[in-house]
Amino acid sequence: MQKAINKKSERKAAYLFIIPAVALLAAFLIYPALQTIRYAFTDYNIMRPDRIKFSGINNFIELFQDKNFWIAVKNTLYFTVLVVPFQTALALALALLVSARRRGVSIFRAAYFSPQVTSMVVVAILWTVLYNSSPDSGLLNALLVKLGMEPCGFLNDPKTAMNSIVFMSAWQGAGYQMMIFLAGLQGIPKEQYEAASIDGAGKVKSFFYVTLPGLKNVIQYVIMITVIQAMKLFTQPYVMTKGGPQNSTRTLVYYVYEQGFQKRNFGYACAVAAVFFVIVISLSLGMKKIIKAD
Amino acid sequence: MKKKVAVTLLIAMFAAGAGMGCGQVKERVNAEGESVITVWSPSDEPAIEEWWEEKTAEFNEAHKGSIHLQREAIVRADSYAYEDKVNAAITSNDLPDILYVDGPNVSVYAANGITLPLDDFFPQEEWDDFLGSSKDQNTYDGKMYAVSATESSVALYYNKDMLTEAGIRIPGSKEEAWTWSEYYEAAEKLTKEGVVGTNIIMDKGEGLPYVLEQFWISNGTDFVSGDGSKADGYINSPEGVEAAEFLNSLIQGGYANIDPIQKEFHNERAATMLGGSWEVATLEKDYPDLNWGVTYFPVADNGGILTSPTGDWAASVTKDVQDMDAVKEVMNFLFSKENVTTYAQAISKPPTRVSSYDVLTEYDEYPRSIFKEQLMETGHPRPRTPSYSVLSAGFSEAMLNIFTGVDAKTALDEAAAAMDKDYKKYYSEE
Repeated sequence: MQKAINKKSERKAAYLFIIPAVALLAAFLIYPALQTIRYAFTDYNIMRPDRIKFSGINNFIELFQDKNFWIAVKNTLYFTVLVVPFQTALALALALLVSARRRGVSIFRAAYFSPQVTSMVVVAILWTVLYNSSPDSGLLNALLVKLGMEPCGFLNDPKTAMNSIVFMSAWQGAGYQMMIFLAGLQGIPKEQYEAASIDGAGKVKSFFYVTLPGLKNVIQYVIMITVIQAMKLFTQPYVMTKGGPQNSTRTLVYYVYEQGFQKRNFGYACAVAAVFFVIVISLSLGMKKIIKAD
Repeated sequence: MKKKVAVTLLIAMFAAGAGMGCGQVKERVNAEGESVITVWSPSDEPAIEEWWEEKTAEFNEAHKGSIHLQREAIVRADSYAYEDKVNAAITSNDLPDILYVDGPNVSVYAANGITLPLDDFFPQEEWDDFLGSSKDQNTYDGKMYAVSATESSVALYYNKDMLTEAGIRIPGSKEEAWTWSEYYEAAEKLTKEGVVGTNIIMDKGEGLPYVLEQFWISNGTDFVSGDGSKADGYINSPEGVEAAEFLNSLIQGGYANIDPIQKEFHNERAATMLGGSWEVATLEKDYPDLNWGVTYFPVADNGGILTSPTGDWAASVTKDVQDMDAVKEVMNFLFSKENVTTYAQAISKPPTRVSSYDVLTEYDEYPRSIFKEQLMETGHPRPRTPSYSVLSAGFSEAMLNIFTGVDAKTALDEAAAAMDKDYKKYYSEE
């Protein structure tokens, strides 16, 4: 009897304990998410919250015929496919460089991590200046011209704009993954390296046969979070290119913002967001499956 | 078990909602029982921030016990950040009593019932004292929906030394304004190592339609039809395409930068610029060594229409007002002869009240006289259409696409289609 009461009150306490967390989650995540799905089936214009009409699947029909939506899907995937391997490799390379126990190495650790603690808006403005298409004003173009090369359009050329964003994003983001890799590297037992070197493995061989397998779980985790982050690309196109030139940097999240707030098609933006949600969820589930099957 | 989870979730949701104050309309009265009137306007330079502090203090002193005026400076950051904030407030029914909106947005908010007509706020003789260009901008559907204290205009600034060196004629009157061909030739001649001939990009947001629409007007067309319902056949008309191609020729020739650095003209990196009236004060104050002048906005070849941009932020009254009499009192205070004059003086922009020019005599003298003349005689406000936001964004995007290689007609067709679609979807039956 005593035991049963205990169990009951324990359960009560448990519910009480989770209420604050659940309340916040409900208010800021679940409720807005449900509202988004609801509005996706309406013609909600942000200027007329009092005149919302149910419009069935009209938004979705329009969306699948909307060329700009498909461009946004393509751009988002293009960015993800490019930035994830690049940023992960860069982070791993940096981690290997600074993992050695030498004097002064902590300065480099801090330096490589510093873009990460700088606001993305600031970084984006900085890179906009670096990428300026005129060699008189843009540092990178000034350098190219000094080296006897043609200046590059960078953000003003639809062929290079997204690649420019990929590069600066990886530069900004790699520091964080580097820290995760550093922690991972520390977890690989010294003995394995010793054994490898006794067996005659050089630096390259011990990297491929000791370091990489030792980091497998960390790499999987890093790739997973980088993919999800990459899919959410918004700040860089918002600050640097406004989705242009010629649609080349319009991403899904930027498109949601543009439709919802700039053009005030809130219902339509919600439909885009709902589709985006489905894409991200299926990507994450797919990746989890692949990792598990491994 | 599942039910319990669901119930917990629901309770949590309501608790959170109530905690955030959802679903309640706040009474706009303070502890002293005064009606609180809130003004939102973009944060501005120190002189204007001081003006607000001084004037709100003065107003509150005079209305102790009845009205309390408070002004909130909203960061504008880039051209759309301010609107984002307003959009959010519309959704949550939390608009201020008095909302400053950019000129072309007056019709957007009016058409959607966000702002209210102000015709009876001032007696007719007061209205008569306001400039026509400003009243045009603030009129929608035959009613006044906003009041502005200041106006703006854009003219062609030039570097005197560079023009003299190149032997280029400076127009003496507006009839002698440069034609597009002359403008192009001058820009070509003036471009040299490290210096471009001109600057046509004020910013990549609202600055594009604000300045560049005049090329459409001068060439005998406009962005939209007179009633603001249609863009197809206007923005993408043959004359419009010609205007876009002309502007693009300046960029493609290398005579104007697509990414101008900040203060390109001020730092002698551009020989001329299409610059706003507010630049006069900046140049006088911060660039005393620069030998500059200003002349009329360029005109299309073969007898194009003399025209120049106008428009500025305006105060409107929102649907969420609770104490209309108090708001009226505040508006009459903010837009009195004296306050329009002091505001215009603080912000170094041309005032909207004709009588203010009796006090601000600097507008009778060059270079400010050029702007006053343009305002009174050649000014055109931006299109008045409830679909302005879509038009503006579409036009900016189209121009940047044209500057990076897209065919002008194709790009403008797309901008026209986007605006017409928006109008049809939300406004055509009304």
